Amino acid sequence: MERVPITVTVNGRRISAVVEPRMTLADFLREELGLTGTKLGCEHGVCGSCTVLWDGAAVRSCLVLAAQADGATITTIEGLATDGTLHPVQEAFWEAHALQCGFCTPGMVLTAVALLAENPNPSEEEIREALSGNLCRCTGYQNIVRAVQLAARHERADT
Amino acid sequence: MSLQILPRGKWVGARVKRVEDPRFLTGEARYLADLQIPGTVHAAFVRSPYGHARIRRIDTSAARALPGVLAVFTAEDVATLPPLASGLPIEGLKPTPQTVLAKDKVRFVGEAVAVVVAENRYIAEDAAELVAVDYEPLPAVTDAERAMAPDAPLLHEDLGTNVVYQKVITLGDVDGAFAQADRIFRRRFHTNRFVAAPMETRGCLSVYERSSGHLTFYSSTQMPHMLRLFLSLFLGIPEHKVRVISPEVGGGFGQKMTIYPEEVVIAYLGKVLGRPVKWVEDRRENLAAATHAKEQIIELEAAVRNDGKVLGLKARLIGDGGAYSFNTASALIEPLAAAGIIPGVYDIQAYQHEVIAVCTNKAPVGAFRAVGWTAAQTARELFFDEIARELGLDPAEFRRRNVITSDQFPYTTITGMVYDSGSYQESLERALELVGYEELRRRQAELRQQGRYLGIGISLYVEPTAWGSEIALQAGFPFPSHDNATVTIDPTGKVRVAVSVHSHGQGHETTLAQVAAEILGVSIDDVIVEHGDTDRAPWGMGTYASRSAVIGGGMVALAAQEVREKVLRVASRLLEVAPEDLEIQEGNVFVRGAPDRSLSLFQVAFAAYLDGRVRAEGEEPLLSATKFYDPRATYSNGCIVTVCEVDGETGTVHLDKIVAVEDCGTMLNPMIVEGQVMGAIAQGIGGALFEAMVYDENGQLLTDTFVTYALPTATEVPELIIEHLETPSPVTIGGIKGIGEGGLLATPASVAGAVLDAIWPAGRAIEQLPLTPERVLRALGGELGV
Repeated sequence: MERVPITVTVNGRRISAVVEPRMTLADFLREELGLTGTKLGCEHGVCGSCTVLWDGAAVRSCLVLAAQADGATITTIEGLATDGTLHPVQEAFWEAHALQCGFCTPGMVLTAVALLAENPNPSEEEIREALSGNLCRCTGYQNIVRAVQLAARHERADT
Repeated sequence: MSLQILPRGKWVGARVKRVEDPRFLTGEARYLADLQIPGTVHAAFVRSPYGHARIRRIDTSAARALPGVLAVFTAEDVATLPPLASGLPIEGLKPTPQTVLAKDKVRFVGEAVAVVVAENRYIAEDAAELVAVDYEPLPAVTDAERAMAPDAPLLHEDLGTNVVYQKVITLGDVDGAFAQADRIFRRRFHTNRFVAAPMETRGCLSVYERSSGHLTFYSSTQMPHMLRLFLSLFLGIPEHKVRVISPEVGGGFGQKMTIYPEEVVIAYLGKVLGRPVKWVEDRRENLAAATHAKEQIIELEAAVRNDGKVLGLKARLIGDGGAYSFNTASALIEPLAAAGIIPGVYDIQAYQHEVIAVCTNKAPVGAFRAVGWTAAQTARELFFDEIARELGLDPAEFRRRNVITSDQFPYTTITGMVYDSGSYQESLERALELVGYEELRRRQAELRQQGRYLGIGISLYVEPTAWGSEIALQAGFPFPSHDNATVTIDPTGKVRVAVSVHSHGQGHETTLAQVAAEILGVSIDDVIVEHGDTDRAPWGMGTYASRSAVIGGGMVALAAQEVREKVLRVASRLLEVAPEDLEIQEGNVFVRGAPDRSLSLFQVAFAAYLDGRVRAEGEEPLLSATKFYDPRATYSNGCIVTVCEVDGETGTVHLDKIVAVEDCGTMLNPMIVEGQVMGAIAQGIGGALFEAMVYDENGQLLTDTFVTYALPTATEVPELIIEHLETPSPVTIGGIKGIGEGGLLATPASVAGAVLDAIWPAGRAIEQLPLTPERVLRALGGELGV
């Protein structure tokens, strides 16, 4: 298989690489860049654990190829905290006990970040709808919903 | 030993934010798949596409020829490895050993037949597809009752039967109870086969050092020390040369208790290939080949007086154990555990149960949160609802007339469980109050007039916890155990707690630190909890069966108490006062009543380690203690009430809310207790309404993706209202009881009870879970969609 050259910006760093055409974006991030915060829970696009931000939108990195990401700007969970300070959504997840085993957490947090960027004041129903593409087996979701509400309040208070 | 050893103060009982969270929130946490060891090669398993077939021939030549492939192993190549077999000494349980790779026959879809090792995962999967297995399909049997028939296809021919266990036990005067009864009721339920489905699948990584003969085995397991023991025995590597590390684990719920054939194979490959070998299963493998759970056929019979008093019960419990009953007596765990808990919170004086375990061409069964108890609770509670209605009693009133009351503790059940304490009736009344029960019943009647179906389901439960030797015996599993903690204050005065219980979401790094901090008088910031590495933690069983708060909390309390005494002895010599006159608070030891006469823990610890003058003859310099704990049996309890509305047109169920009142005795951290309860409730919603492993009659698995096997999402879980009652256990350290399983034990009964209540009397026709729209609509006699 002929390898494909790509240039992609990941967490603010511009990266040029040559990838196998069939390599998924998730595997590229995890195996080639060592960004293992992106999790693989099903590899068929249902669980949402592999969610990353692609030009700001939540995308399942197990369903897209690294080659397709040429020119894209990607944010993974590792790119969210700045200078050791947690992002307000991360802070709210901590505060609200919105994680237990932590495996779905990166995808949940990034999905919430994308939601709040688009809708800074979501209703509970809108939050549940936005999170419904991300599976969590530990928390029963209630504290995740509370965390997103908390983050929304904090972000509004800050602006 | 004082059972009041656990004080409640600044830390114990507080809603402390979890200290482990930042690494999960930032993506720094390392799970099995995230570990990278130089030189690692990757394994992929070739799995059976048939439910039942003879293996005629396996041709691995094309796979071996693929560039990048290191090895392809079949059963022949691993013939020196002993088969997995049940280790529990249970009389009458027939052995069904499972070779680590299928030999001669496959018995379920997903059974591992061969394994390929290659330079990367992509090549390994390519090569696995090139392994040509010539199968001769055999008739399969996927229904436990059909599997019991004399002409059923046999899974294990040498046994001559698929029934691996069958036993009737009669307790009390059952004939008398049935002779005196005004009414006899009967009911059959077939509970669904559903699975833990942790978000992280299974996986392991075997690193063998040939020069020393030392195996380091990383695995996503709940029980590192047990895995070490078994790997040592299976591979013939002395145990002191085996180290098991369980890194971050993305959920277990019991599924990661089992010692799996894949783990033995990967450990062996690491040894024979001389390269680190890694295997991370994909979701299809997890759904097909990791243990399934909870499927039983339960037939109940009740002898009841007209006033609602249950005089006696009979139960026939058939466990559909899947293809093998391997290392945890797995075909038996469901029906045997269920038999013990059928009486539940009710005062039952006569009971007969028949426990049957059957092999079928489905994945083997293993532990999943509330093993056996979910099915038993579901069947009994739904049955009791029906009896109540038949007698013209409110289901809540029926429960009041049969429940064990608080003046009856300690209460020994007819099956030999000793309920130490609890709040059975109180939790029922409080849950009904919170949900607004009387008003809801009025509303239900109104809505019925309008052709709408509102339902209320009550599930009143007791949960065996503190899984040590005593409760295991009371639940029917002769399995002695204990766990251990080492608490150490280092020379700078910081606290290290190493424990054998394992955390995979439970938050032990916080709760167990709270216990140590409370007893040692330090801040939680000065305590670190280590677990998951057999070289760093003392020996113990690991985490399962709602045991870690009780056992972990108890053993840490004991060890911390001993270290505290050592600290006080050293400080008493430094301060020249009696140890009884000293206090420790906020990291300082001071003379009671004279706070200016104090030393920091740093000063005391430094002296203990480095100044021999503070030691009495024979005293150890290390401020460290290792203590074990094997608690007495203790039982949590609670009541879960669900309110739902059923759409009569579509058969869909809308959950309005779920109220859970739970009592786990002393709470270490209410925030974490609530998290456990809410998560377990969501799993119970899945089990009641959505989740089922479905096989066709040929043994083909129809639900091997998250599209066909549907977990609840944020839009299916309603508002959850949790309230705590706190009845400390009189028999455990600090009065702690476990809380991990109650939500899943009781929620399916509550949710299903609400649905059947909503559509009663049509609900009488429903025998099988989950309550899919199709089943609900069929019961209502409505049209199924075109």
